[in-house]
Amino acid sequence: MIDHEGTDELLAGYVLGSLSGPDAEEADRLLTEHVPGCLTCRATLDAFQGVTGELGLMADPLAPPDTLLPRMERELEGGRRRRSQQWGPARIVAGAAAAVVLVGVVGLSLLNDGANGPSELLTKADLAQVNQLKTETDTEVTPLGPTGTEAEEVSVPSRDELYVMGTFVASPGFIYRLYAVKDGVATYIGDVGPATGVVAFHVEVDPASVDKLLLRQEPAASPPSELVSPSLEAVG
Amino acid sequence: MAVQDTADDLELHRRLAAGDRAAFDELYRRYAAQAYGLAYRVTGQQMLAQDVVHDAFMALWRAPEAFDERRGSFRTFFLSMVHHRGVDQVRREQRLRARTEKAANLDPLEDEDPADAVAEAGYLSVRRKEVREALTDLPAAQRQVLEMAYFDGKTQVQIAKELQIPLGTVKTRTLAAMRKLRALLEEAS
Repeated sequence: MIDHEGTDELLAGYVLGSLSGPDAEEADRLLTEHVPGCLTCRATLDAFQGVTGELGLMADPLAPPDTLLPRMERELEGGRRRRSQQWGPARIVAGAAAAVVLVGVVGLSLLNDGANGPSELLTKADLAQVNQLKTETDTEVTPLGPTGTEAEEVSVPSRDELYVMGTFVASPGFIYRLYAVKDGVATYIGDVGPATGVVAFHVEVDPASVDKLLLRQEPAASPPSELVSPSLEAVG
Repeated sequence: MAVQDTADDLELHRRLAAGDRAAFDELYRRYAAQAYGLAYRVTGQQMLAQDVVHDAFMALWRAPEAFDERRGSFRTFFLSMVHHRGVDQVRREQRLRARTEKAANLDPLEDEDPADAVAEAGYLSVRRKEVREALTDLPAAQRQVLEMAYFDGKTQVQIAKELQIPLGTVKTRTLAAMRKLRALLEEAS
């Protein structure tokens, strides 16, 4: 049976960003394995995150530099173009610049069955294409987890192609995040979903820069882990 | 007033999720000063604070579905995200170099006019007062560990060392502080 007093201690430390070492790893495990399925813990997590938001009011407001909004507006133009090329509510968020440098990720594109997706880029043929790839002899299919997603990594080494497919409906308040693992270090690539039905992602990476992919369910309100331990495979 | 502002935030968020730039600008107008003030308080550096606010707003634009209105207000969601990113920045800085005493040596501010910012975010002042009162109601020992974690970006291990108390005590005080604050803030609202 789970010790909720201990869990609450970890959640309190987690929302404050004050955990480190084994406590951070244990919180990571709880957040992927236990919290998404535990109503009590989800309520506690929400309440504590609400407190950290309220504590933000303790800081005196300061006018940000005048250059900040124009800087963002320039990026918003680029961001909107990217969004329009992707699939509405289930878009992939481009990874942090650090991820691009570290693992050579050059971008992501999404292919799906178009069940709820308005984009013309997403067709059943795309999903069928990945399913077809799975039947070919030089294709490697590796279960990716977490449970419930039935996610698979579909790679075609001879053509340097890599896909992820599965069903990505996270628990309320949570989101699936994709990481690239190289030499025991997992680096954030992007958010996945929520998506309706089976979807497939074409992951454009330098194959030499990725040993494997890692998919984890994480609280949507928190930023992705900059670096996570690949040993903490998500199962929730 | 606060209820109306919360409803307005939700409507702005829905428009933003649909790609409405005007909604983004309005949310920026509402929360940029508070977010920048918080990011600056946590990081102690203007450049880092700018990056935090920039990243938070861009994340909001790129992944608006991260906010779920069933889990709390937009304001607490967004400021929680800003805080999280601020702490991440602090940790990165800590890894790069030992930090000087931030609280005593905040980067001198240039050109800002806090009075303008406060005027723009005036509807938040009532809640700010309630939060300050709630924090004041905490036992001093609990408030201390909470402030060291939240505003100084210190880990519980660092706090335990600095205060020369067991790590378990830091955890216990942190949890007690969070629970009491939660109750006080719910009562106040």
